Amino acid sequence: MRAKHPRLVITFHTTAEAMATEQLCLREHLEGKLISVPRCLTSDCGIAWSAPLELRKTLKQKLQEAAIETDGFHEILL
Amino acid sequence: MKKQFALRAYLPVIITGVVVGIAALILTAMGNPKNMGFCIACFERDIAGALGLHSAAVVQYIRPEIIGMVLGALISAVAFKEFRAKSGSSPACRFVLGAFVMIGALVFLGCPLRMVIRLGGGDLTAVAALLGFLAGILVGLVFLKKGFTLGRAYPIRRGEGLMLPGFMVILLCLLLFAPQLLKFSESGPGSMHAPIAVALIAGLAVGVFAQRSRLCMAGGLRDVFLMKDFTLLSGFLAIWITITIGNLVLGSYNLSALSQPVAHSQYLWSFLGMALAGWGSILLGGCPLRQLILSGEGNGDSAVTVFGMIFGAALAHNFGLAGSADSVVDGVYKVGGIKTPGMVAVCIGFVVLLVISLTHLPKKGD
Repeated sequence: MRAKHPRLVITFHTTAEAMATEQLCLREHLEGKLISVPRCLTSDCGIAWSAPLELRKTLKQKLQEAAIETDGFHEILL
Repeated sequence: MKKQFALRAYLPVIITGVVVGIAALILTAMGNPKNMGFCIACFERDIAGALGLHSAAVVQYIRPEIIGMVLGALISAVAFKEFRAKSGSSPACRFVLGAFVMIGALVFLGCPLRMVIRLGGGDLTAVAALLGFLAGILVGLVFLKKGFTLGRAYPIRRGEGLMLPGFMVILLCLLLFAPQLLKFSESGPGSMHAPIAVALIAGLAVGVFAQRSRLCMAGGLRDVFLMKDFTLLSGFLAIWITITIGNLVLGSYNLSALSQPVAHSQYLWSFLGMALAGWGSILLGGCPLRQLILSGEGNGDSAVTVFGMIFGAALAHNFGLAGSADSVVDGVYKVGGIKTPGMVAVCIGFVVLLVISLTHLPKKGD
């Protein structure tokens, strides 16, 4: 089985916010990717953003500046 | 820190797919029409007929499977503390989208779930629908990537989130205690049904498993194209494989494009009907099955969508938009399908979806 690593998972209220986050991170050259929201976080079937843990502070600031609303920041093994 | 294992992600979805497949086989064996163990569109259409919202005499029955799915999702959501009453994400648009998803599905004669069940029965006419569903999802994804959104939902009072489950309880009470108030088909697909208890239990089981696994036909394909995530799609495939094996074992597998039960061979309109359903499902954030499950979890927007689908079913049969099955009349094979009103409705549906898609993109400067 593939080894699991701790990741930062950002959840959103809408898919559009997840897409906007992807665009923002591509523009700012911030590592990360879209994932389906892990079942352990919610029963919703939306899209989340997975990034390295160390980007938590940067992402929080960048998303705030870009007015992208988030649902939550979570740390889980992926 | 919470642990998330790949196996833990796949297994519930695959098990749910197997449960749905087995339940569909049992329901068919016990009375439901062939290749229609489950069909969210057909069953909501039957409910609309039973309530007198349309007058197509052959498709009127209160389907306990639908009641069971919503209540099963509710029971599961409450038991696992996942019941969240929320709403406010463009309910009017969702109602209209629900209506056109239903019209598209009834043009083909089945929702995405029945499409898979038909494929599992060897019905090759459903291949056109599968391709159409894929095409519709890809169109929807173009708009999702451009930032399409119906807006976020907000927490609401618990009672608001219980509206659709409450409606389902009323339907069950009517079916059990006041059936004389309802309309029931005496012939055709509406007259063919499994015993109430069996249908209700099958629906409850599917509702519970689908709530736990988040099974979604449209979401599965969306995740594959958008993120190369095959988790939800594995449920889709599990249903297909289970139904295929079940039909082979029961001797009811018929690999053919002719004389399939409740199916027609107007491939272009099957393709377009399911393209409409696929596109609409992506804009809604889930297929018709998923809308039932979400409404059981307290999502008022999904409840509105379900009411929209019931309204769409009534429109489809009152205005002759739905497809009719191929049949054999006096030894001659007669191709069914849709007539001009149905073709016009599908075209109008594409225009409406395009308008909704374009008007819910981010404005310049957002």
